[in-house]
Amino acid sequence: MAVAEGARLTPVELLVSLGRNPTTKTLLKIIILVLIATAAVASRLFSVIRFESIIHEFDPWFNFRATKYLVANGFYQFWDWFDDRTWHPLGRVTGGTLYPGLMVTSGVIYHLLRFLTVPVDIRNICVLLAPAFSGLTAYAAYLLTNEMTTSSSAGLLAAAFMGITPGYISRSVAGSYDNEAIAIFLLVFTFYLWIKALKLGSVLWGALCALFYGYMVASWGGYAFITCLVPLHAFVLVCMGRFSLRLYVAYTTWYALGTLASMQIPFVGFLPVRTSEHMPALGIFGFLQLVAFLEYVRSAVPSRQFQTFLYIGLGGIFGAGLLGLVGLTAGGYIAPWSGRFYSLWDTGYAKIHIPIIASVSEHQPTAWPAFFFDLNMLIWLFPAGVYMCFQKLEDEHVFIIVYALFGSYFAGVMVRLMLTLTPVVCVAAAIAASQLLDTYLQYKSPEVVDNKEEESTDGTSKKSSKQSTLRSASQPVVGIYTVLSKAFIAGAMTVFLLIFVQHCTWVTSNAYSSPSVVLASRMPDGSQHIIDDYREAYQWLRQNTKEDAKIMSWWDYGYQIGGMADRPTLVDNNTWNNTHIATVGKAMSSREEVAYPIMRQHEVDYVLVVFGGLLGYSGDDINKFLWMVRIAEGIWPDEVKERDFFTPRGEYKVDADASETMKNSLMYKMSYHNYASLFPPGQAQDRVRGARLPDQSPVLNSLEEAYTSENWIIRIYKVKDLDNVGRDHAAAASFERGHKKKKAIKKRGPRVLRVE
Amino acid sequence: MRSLVSFLLLALVASVQAISSSGGNRLLVILEDVAEKDGYSKFLGDLEVPYLYKPHHLLIASTTGRGFDIAYETPKSESLSLFHLGERSYDHVLLFPTKAKGLGPNLTPNVLLEFINAEGNILLALSGSTPVPSSLVSVLLEFDIHLPTDRQGLVVDHFNYDTTSASEKHDVLLLPTPGPLRPDYKHFFSLSSSGAPDGRERAGERSGVVAFPNGIGQTLGQGPLLSPILRAPSTSYSYNPKEESEAVDDLFASGSQLSLVSAFQARNSARLTVVGSADMLSNTWFDTDVKKVGEKTSIKTLNRGFAKAVSGWTFGEIGVVRVNWVEHHLNEEGLSNASNPKIYRIKNDVTYSVSLSEYSWDKYIPFTVPANDELQLEYSMLSPFNRLKLNPTISSEDSTTYSVSFKLPDQHGIFNFLVNYKRPFLSNVFEKNTVSVRHFAHDEWPRSFVISGAWPWIAGIGVTVTGWLAFCAVWLYSAPPAKGESKKKQ
Repeated sequence: MAVAEGARLTPVELLVSLGRNPTTKTLLKIIILVLIATAAVASRLFSVIRFESIIHEFDPWFNFRATKYLVANGFYQFWDWFDDRTWHPLGRVTGGTLYPGLMVTSGVIYHLLRFLTVPVDIRNICVLLAPAFSGLTAYAAYLLTNEMTTSSSAGLLAAAFMGITPGYISRSVAGSYDNEAIAIFLLVFTFYLWIKALKLGSVLWGALCALFYGYMVASWGGYAFITCLVPLHAFVLVCMGRFSLRLYVAYTTWYALGTLASMQIPFVGFLPVRTSEHMPALGIFGFLQLVAFLEYVRSAVPSRQFQTFLYIGLGGIFGAGLLGLVGLTAGGYIAPWSGRFYSLWDTGYAKIHIPIIASVSEHQPTAWPAFFFDLNMLIWLFPAGVYMCFQKLEDEHVFIIVYALFGSYFAGVMVRLMLTLTPVVCVAAAIAASQLLDTYLQYKSPEVVDNKEEESTDGTSKKSSKQSTLRSASQPVVGIYTVLSKAFIAGAMTVFLLIFVQHCTWVTSNAYSSPSVVLASRMPDGSQHIIDDYREAYQWLRQNTKEDAKIMSWWDYGYQIGGMADRPTLVDNNTWNNTHIATVGKAMSSREEVAYPIMRQHEVDYVLVVFGGLLGYSGDDINKFLWMVRIAEGIWPDEVKERDFFTPRGEYKVDADASETMKNSLMYKMSYHNYASLFPPGQAQDRVRGARLPDQSPVLNSLEEAYTSENWIIRIYKVKDLDNVGRDHAAAASFERGHKKKKAIKKRGPRVLRVE
Repeated sequence: MRSLVSFLLLALVASVQAISSSGGNRLLVILEDVAEKDGYSKFLGDLEVPYLYKPHHLLIASTTGRGFDIAYETPKSESLSLFHLGERSYDHVLLFPTKAKGLGPNLTPNVLLEFINAEGNILLALSGSTPVPSSLVSVLLEFDIHLPTDRQGLVVDHFNYDTTSASEKHDVLLLPTPGPLRPDYKHFFSLSSSGAPDGRERAGERSGVVAFPNGIGQTLGQGPLLSPILRAPSTSYSYNPKEESEAVDDLFASGSQLSLVSAFQARNSARLTVVGSADMLSNTWFDTDVKKVGEKTSIKTLNRGFAKAVSGWTFGEIGVVRVNWVEHHLNEEGLSNASNPKIYRIKNDVTYSVSLSEYSWDKYIPFTVPANDELQLEYSMLSPFNRLKLNPTISSEDSTTYSVSFKLPDQHGIFNFLVNYKRPFLSNVFEKNTVSVRHFAHDEWPRSFVISGAWPWIAGIGVTVTGWLAFCAVWLYSAPPAKGESKKKQ
């Protein structure tokens, strides 16, 4: 057919006619989706090409270690895993305190590939899992967008946006083996299934939604976002008077099955019925039963009686429910909102009450350029897309609106929640962009401005949507007549899209592809120089220390030490025990005489500090030091005081003017021990803080330097044993230095007699 | 035949043990002049390799001497070196008083301290008549043992002196042999009246005296590593014989604060003993007749026995506790009770045992805890969760096994089985065995149907399931309403 027509059609018309053919359309869509997925995967491989196939950052190291344990020991061992190499000496019930979804996914892929006789290293699976799932996320975004609009270009655009948006890439480059790697796919896909279930009122789709919700719960703590958003959507729908049996079926199916599924995860356990975060879902579940019951009653009794029944019944039940909730919370049966949740409402809350949360950089409020940095042009297409949703305003569009509202708020409060905003931005922006393109890329100019004409060009029926749109939002149909304006807008849009792609690639390549385990710098001649101090030091630990040597470091490095050096640590990035972290903070911020008994009690063999002064590496421990002080102060306000670490003028200094407490703190001593000897006299300099240091390096008595990496980024100290002849370390060290005591130092006061 | 061979082997092993202390038998004696050793020939002879000892004369070894291989050096000697290629050249050092102010480059305080840190033992004999070398003063200060100022002092007692030899100067003290410092301590320096060192508690029968001539006293700091072996009587004091003044205004120490023979045991169980009077080890004062103030009859001194006890303790011949083995295992039916597993579960029943021997002159004997004392096991993580008495269970010829069984507390983590038994005069026992204690695995909890509290819930589930099935059945099998009716309704 195409050939026959081709004879008398211009090539453009041929293409258009090809695009109209449903079969070729499907084929084209598949090809486009595959290309998008390929682009999504490809753009995430910068780090592998530039560095190597390596696990990035901090948390991924734990996930990697857990995956290795799972693959080596099997699922049940993993499920019951008691990890005695972290949180020494408390240990961690790791199997019961993690989200196993990620590891199990990798484990299944690993065993599947082994079964297919493809020998793949588990590390490569872990490294490449996030890019692989980003392809799936793009597809899920396509499906979700297709539920919103009839224009298929919107779905494809959404998939493309989702594939390359930096906001999502930031957490899913190759090597970023974190829960988010699979969780964003699950998030988008669960939302898609929810919309599907809601639209069809189908138990099957509802059950599928619950299934993927269960998978999501197994994968990421951010599942609470779904747990709150779906009931919110249902609640908004009911308030808009859109209660329907479809909603009832979809919601109850999802809630009942989804809650059961989530309770199978040991870490979640009974939280869905015991914490405030999960109460909205439970409340809406009950609310929907009530509404459904009322609907039934309304159909059964006369309207006047129904009125009184409604007021009394509804008011009474709502009051009772609220009272019950308050009572149970006060009685301790339902846990109140957790600190992390409070900090979502009040950004200053964490800083005052829970420094450990505030100390994490990704929990800081977002700076506004970050929105543009992560989303580029999508950020201005996004409101337009939301506006389009208002125009149609069906049940699913309400969802996008609710999601957009809450996603924006949370993304503004916490940097890392940009991730949950990104999908809805992609969807909304794609709706807007496709509307724009659909309008301006119309080949034919509209002859007559008529509603019918417009509808017929759209192809599918729009009647149902027409009826349900708000009257105020119903738009007059506008056609574009001149080729010039079409070409101008289409051209501008193309340029924007190209710039978007260019921006995404640039951001991905420059900002998000650094493994942070390996640092890259440029030599004067422009060639790349790799700074590999972390791995160097961890390798030293692995090869030169006893297998059960306990390493004390600030918690940021716990996972890396566990993963790369394979040594037990005191605290790590799973910050489950604030007191234990505060203990380490106290040891780091106290004098040696105070710190030594703490280290001794915790059987510490080595202390690891990160020092960037030589290289100008700003993410070092001295810059994090105030957080250690604050966290320690939270537990021991009498012994550690933040004020003492500042100069009398309130400055945080490390040079000769530093306060005495600062100079005597273990962290300061370990960081600057012997540092001045690197420089000619009087020129010792800290390049991070731009401070000139005193020539006299701090003296360490109870620790001895064991290792310092090439660029001094990692410094490892060995904790000395108790002195063999019972002296304190200061006396022993002074004897070692050759200060012999000639006479016993006369103490004032009466002679102390020895009593047996 | 085989039994004979094994007997011979056993005898060989026994004799090899017999001729050495538990810490080796290389002894270095440092004297001002090697010729001086004749003055101490009895004492050194007691220590030396027995004359009769020959490798094939297995059974007559250790009849007279205690089997030390003695080398003699002077402080000035070039060949004197306590270390060779970083290893100790000697196991024990015996230092007699020297006249020089310093001890030369081979015996600096650092070397002596390093020798202690390398588990070498030092017996230091000082004298009231020669000043103590300054390097010894400073090394003793590191141990918190203080000597009189100006490195010299003489202990006198106007009530307990020997009337035959020191009726004028009162500087030969006659002291009863020391009893235990505290009733719950093991003591090695009580002598039976015959003069043989006697570890058993026989405080009541102490009758002999020890002569302490021309000695210097020390005071000890508060540290737990120090303990006095022989304390001065309450009427004694120390003064500097070089000072001419009649009255002593700044007294160094007096009474029982003045320690005449002091013991120091480092954390690695290396021992240092300071004997205030070198003369008490000399031939002159071994078995001399002395007469106490106010007594008619003269008696023999027990210095020989006392010297044996002090040197024996210092050189690790007595008071050395050996941990033969430590074992812990699960004590539950139906579960493996393999030795020393790395991991336990909370609430497991566990048995811990430790086997201890004590070295006594030439052989290991079973270690017994003094009557008022306890050997304890600590089960600890950060702080002890249990502190349990270890009871003797099995006693063999050369060891006692102490053990205790208990239920692990309901706390998972990385725990230590810790035996921390440190007592004066006994070498330190510090045995730490780390185990992980895990939580209940998912299949180790009792099943829901054996918990009576769960029955209402199980019944609830049953009712719901049956009810739903029944509802479905009724729904499916009830006849649908006629079509006409339903249309009317709508």
